Amino acid sequence: MTPVKQLTCLALPLVLCGSLATAARADGETVAVFTKNQTNPFFQTIRVGADLAAKTLNAKTQHYIPTKPDSIPEQLSQIEDVVVKKPDAIVFIPVDYKAMVPGIEKINDAKIPAVNVTDRSAGGQFVAFVGADDYNLGLETGRYLLKALGGKGNVVIIEGVKGSLTSVDRVRGFNDAIKENAGVKLLASQPGNYQRLQALQVMENLMQSNSQIDGVLAANDAMAVGAIEALDGANRKAQVIGINGTKEAVDAVKSGKLLATGDYNGFAQGCIGTMIAIRTLRKQPVVSEIVLKPTVITKDNYQPFDVALETRTCPSWDEAAKFATK
Amino acid sequence: MTDITKPVDAPPRSHLSGDLVQLLYRLLAALLVCVLLALLSDSFLSMSNILNVLRQTSLLFFIASGLTLVVLTGGLDLSVGANVALSACLAGTVIQHTGSPSLGVLTGLLTGGVVGLLNGVMVTALRIPSFIATYGMLWVLNGLTYWYMAGETIHGFPPGFRQIGSGYLFGLPIPVYLLLIFLAIGTVFAQRTIWGQEIYALGANPVAARLSGIPVARRLLLVYCVSGTMAGLASIIFLARLNSAEADIGESLTLPAIAAVLIGGTSLFGGVGTVFGTFIGALILTLVLNGMNLLSINANWQPFITGVIVILAVWLDMTTRRHKL
Repeated sequence: MTPVKQLTCLALPLVLCGSLATAARADGETVAVFTKNQTNPFFQTIRVGADLAAKTLNAKTQHYIPTKPDSIPEQLSQIEDVVVKKPDAIVFIPVDYKAMVPGIEKINDAKIPAVNVTDRSAGGQFVAFVGADDYNLGLETGRYLLKALGGKGNVVIIEGVKGSLTSVDRVRGFNDAIKENAGVKLLASQPGNYQRLQALQVMENLMQSNSQIDGVLAANDAMAVGAIEALDGANRKAQVIGINGTKEAVDAVKSGKLLATGDYNGFAQGCIGTMIAIRTLRKQPVVSEIVLKPTVITKDNYQPFDVALETRTCPSWDEAAKFATK
Repeated sequence: MTDITKPVDAPPRSHLSGDLVQLLYRLLAALLVCVLLALLSDSFLSMSNILNVLRQTSLLFFIASGLTLVVLTGGLDLSVGANVALSACLAGTVIQHTGSPSLGVLTGLLTGGVVGLLNGVMVTALRIPSFIATYGMLWVLNGLTYWYMAGETIHGFPPGFRQIGSGYLFGLPIPVYLLLIFLAIGTVFAQRTIWGQEIYALGANPVAARLSGIPVARRLLLVYCVSGTMAGLASIIFLARLNSAEADIGESLTLPAIAAVLIGGTSLFGGVGTVFGTFIGALILTLVLNGMNLLSINANWQPFITGVIVILAVWLDMTTRRHKL
């Protein structure tokens, strides 16, 4: 923090002497990045994206992650700390889209520009929102599965955490995809709470009461892979899809075990959110809303996703701005 | 929990006869759930579903059986779930790097056991209350696992290793054999060995236990070690069944394990309870989930129904016992 500030102070006169024409372009800003937990690979993709974007733009990131996953009080106290430390900008994923509103208001009061990423906050002021559309992601990935089944057959849905926005919207997308196919029968829609073990057990149980299951729509990749293990264990076959585009899921798509995974695009969200934060500080033009288009990762297009996260590259600003919805 | 109301009139004379009667009542609760499910769902009583339920019970039982010994001493081990996560991640890494399942199994059991030993040292040598010591341990283990895994998932193990979790022997799933073996070992250890009886005694009255010459500290070390090692065993079964591990797998395991111990009739105050009761507790919890899936009950209602059935099962058990004993 301090060395960065000092650098900025040193750099400032140089920039001013150099060229006033390039306006307020200054290197070395600090962006505080808030994510929900250390356990879900998705947030790791956000953090890597944010780090890469900052590095490319000569800025720095500081990560704030609750030690107890998704803890509301912990994220609130982290905001209090950050408001005292005063980073130049904030990239913010609320652990709860309603409960964190008072926290955002503290950030607003401290006049630190903030970009809202992934989960849309119910209140507070943000420079921009960057996210993916869970409903369309569920719809498109679901459609891909049903098409592979030839528009007929018996399917089951494994839901995520009850009451979470992501699960509600993804499952709604799944259901709408199923409704488009009159030949598809939804046998059951049961909760797996985004947990691998629970999904495995749900699948084992559903196989007991249903002799023919052709397709499984799981609201995240961990559950999809859990369902596949259950099918393997019972020597049964079904087409399975997941959502998030995790490394594990891409591997499973590659080996043909998983039909497809909807890419929630955490990497791009982290990149673009951080780019907007830094561009705001540098008084460069930004857009106020970007909702990324769903990508369904399948055996035909998995290659670009089959690389270590750190070696991927952030989209350029022009590419990102194409997704602007506002 | 029954025992809060009448701790005095059930002195640990011979554990077997009194406990046997208690166990029959516990079985009754589990049987009632079974009868209800059999009436509602055709597939419930099929052989494959019965094996399915037993296999699902095994993981919870391994964690809960070790925990039972800790609770019998009047202690608690809140670190079991976090222990499963760390042990699974380390064992998974070892298997992937060495290609040797046996080294992996050893790593899982050792990690679990060492964590248990540390818990035991905190409780005995440092005299930290077990709730706090193991709560602190939970955070330490979570921190280590999160740092070690950095949001990654370990997946893909040799088919031979995975047999432990998903294989069959003479038509029975291998985890079910392990369940029966550890149920037998746990029961014999607790009821029929001097060490087991000493654990009951020190849970019922620690002061009297010390005065009568029971090496309290050593027995406490033992129970925390066993609890940790069983968490290590659970981590191996988890890896072999799911073919992967990530940092957050433990979180959803601790509370059900504690619930299984208490539903099974072990008193939080120590000295009363059995490993077989814990098996019934784990079985009831698994049956409820199995039944709700078979009946395709709306996901929104599942937590509510789980809560009601758990309360009813314990209430039924308590009232029948009050009438008969």
